[in-house]
Amino acid sequence: MNEILESLTRCVERGKVNSKSPYPPDLKGQDGADEFARKAIEAGIPPQDILSKGLIIGMQHVGVRFRNKEIFVPDVLMAAKAMAAAMVHLKPFFKTDALKHKGTIVMGTVLGDLHDIGKKLVSMVIEGAGWEVVDLGTDVSPEKFLKAADEHPGCVIGLSALLTTTMVNMESTVKHVKAKHPNIKVIIGGAPVTEEFALKIGADGYSADPQGAVEFLNSRCATN
Amino acid sequence: MPESISLDVATFAPSFRDLGVDRALVESDLGYRDSEAPEMISELIDEILPLIPLRIALQCGYGILPAGSIVVADDSVSCNGLQFATGPIITSQLKRSTSLALFVSTAGPHLERWSGELMANGDMMRGYIVDAIASEYVEQASVWLEKQIGSYVQSRGWKLTNRYSPGYCDWPVSEQHKLFSLLPEKFCGITLTESSLMVPIKSLSGIIGLGPDVKRGAFQCSICDLKDCFRRREEPEPATETE
Repeated sequence: MNEILESLTRCVERGKVNSKSPYPPDLKGQDGADEFARKAIEAGIPPQDILSKGLIIGMQHVGVRFRNKEIFVPDVLMAAKAMAAAMVHLKPFFKTDALKHKGTIVMGTVLGDLHDIGKKLVSMVIEGAGWEVVDLGTDVSPEKFLKAADEHPGCVIGLSALLTTTMVNMESTVKHVKAKHPNIKVIIGGAPVTEEFALKIGADGYSADPQGAVEFLNSRCATN
Repeated sequence: MPESISLDVATFAPSFRDLGVDRALVESDLGYRDSEAPEMISELIDEILPLIPLRIALQCGYGILPAGSIVVADDSVSCNGLQFATGPIITSQLKRSTSLALFVSTAGPHLERWSGELMANGDMMRGYIVDAIASEYVEQASVWLEKQIGSYVQSRGWKLTNRYSPGYCDWPVSEQHKLFSLLPEKFCGITLTESSLMVPIKSLSGIIGLGPDVKRGAFQCSICDLKDCFRRREEPEPATETE
């Protein structure tokens, strides 16, 4: 495997943003995701390879380690920051079709619920897996999800809820979405949510952790 | 509608200094219990902790129901015509209670606003740490309040059970509305949304069983389905009761 891509994978996995970043201490003074992404482009590595064979692999390792409780939210946030530093160099290629997202997911915390952090964390890991994320925020009505679905044809919809009182609003959102867009896939998650509940309300997927969401998206929904 | 009931109410504004929230506690909340937190995280916590007093607005309070005003059934507790569906886990711990302390604690609105602003400006890490610190302050304010309640009821010869909150141990979070209906309006500045969410979000509410013969039992995690509960222990503890 290409040495630069391996370095990119390692930088994302370790949360090494750039050469100025003092974290992690054992990589202090060394190049980070920012520099290696630039070097990869200068070396002529196709942007799609930089993303899929470098960055995404790093984020995948992070997602699995987080699921296994080997690392924690701050470590994921550092990884996402490193990923974002590299993506700055890749973003222009999305406009030229040299780089394609795997698809688009519209994310939101359902009506009545103001919890944001869990949904943001999942969004970052999904973005790190090569998906475009449209984050509608919190307290999102079914109508807002429908409007976003109209604006992003072929998207997937991700619903989050942290309360048993608000997870019932997932059901009405799923019904609204499926009534107008029967082919749109909906994945749900959040502390009180279970696979059984997902099946009951007609959602297509459920995940207890960010990596599970990525695996669902990649296996069931990816278009590129 | 239940008739109005005479509550023994007290409110407090504890000092952040009394609550003992420090770097080690926050690191533990962030997940670093068995492993060392990255140096950068520790440094960020050290940077943020001194800024908390500028933004925190701690308030907590309790309302104690009159002695003998509650009826503890198999899976519910009634008071003055109002029935709390506390479920079998909590109710079993409330046996022998002759009264309840209804309690709330809050960190106020400013910390969650600050956390949200940091995240909105792209600083997820600081925003997340502020959020974790706010949660810990609310938890420690509840611990502090529990001690105040313990001291207060000691003169009556009463003891306390653990704290139990709607949303945990099979007690529906929707019952927040019943709990708050017994407390003064906007108690400690907290309001409820239709979906039973407390505003400010960084707030805690619940009940504590009181009485001369109550026992403080271990949390019964082994028979509860809530896998992400903050009180969940890694290993089930023996079902012995402790004072």
